[in-house]
Amino acid sequence: MVTDFEALFPGLTGTRYQVTSPKNDVYNCIAWAAKDTQVWWWPDPGGQLYWPAGVQRAEALSAFREAFESLGYSLCSNDGLEAGFEKIALFADGQGNPKHAARQLADGRWTSKLGELEDIEHGLHDLQGAECGGVVMIMKRLLP
Amino acid sequence: MSSVPMRETPMAQHGEGIEERFHQLASAWQQAVAHHSSSALRYNHPAYQEIIALGAPIVPLLLQDLEQNRRHWFAALKAITGADPVPPDDAGKIPRMTELWLRWGRENGLQW
Repeated sequence: MVTDFEALFPGLTGTRYQVTSPKNDVYNCIAWAAKDTQVWWWPDPGGQLYWPAGVQRAEALSAFREAFESLGYSLCSNDGLEAGFEKIALFADGQGNPKHAARQLADGRWTSKLGELEDIEHGLHDLQGAECGGVVMIMKRLLP
Repeated sequence: MSSVPMRETPMAQHGEGIEERFHQLASAWQQAVAHHSSSALRYNHPAYQEIIALGAPIVPLLLQDLEQNRRHWFAALKAITGADPVPPDDAGKIPRMTELWLRWGRENGLQW
């Protein structure tokens, strides 16, 4: 059954988002942003999920920033396409609780894995809302 | 890897009430959180917490559902049983975690 993404994320309605993968419960949005499709990334306090070694295991934006810093990313001031760089975006709710991550594609659009559901290609801000929160941090790194 | 002896609890002993309630809660939980990555959102959901509160009798159903539908019952299994058969190097590897929990169930005499 195809997920009704527009019901979950009303901002997608009327946009040219597209589903780009089947459902998969092996990896999640953070893993996908990190280009890892083998594990579920999250700093759960129980230590059952993957989190990079040496990075604080806390459900806090600082921990997510550190996780992507461990991959060579640094803070960035804008979400535009920048030659020679790739970018990720972190989403959080109004209390600063991390909720989602997206990765920029070569054409400037964004790709997201939605929990255990499908990957989609979308405009960055079209996912903002009650389910994903809002974009609170952009990071970039040099393309290999 | 820890191992907690548990009383053998064949499916027939659950009774239809708890099984039906489990399936209701599992469906509600999946519908509510499938699009989320956050363990806080996924595991603190009321339906997930209610499943944990059902306690040891629900463990064979969790293992059965894990095997058949691969819903992520890892935190619930750990909370209910106190066991943790997944070593740190396998954290987040969903197929491996599934395999280890199912093995743990069999080794502890559970049937599903």
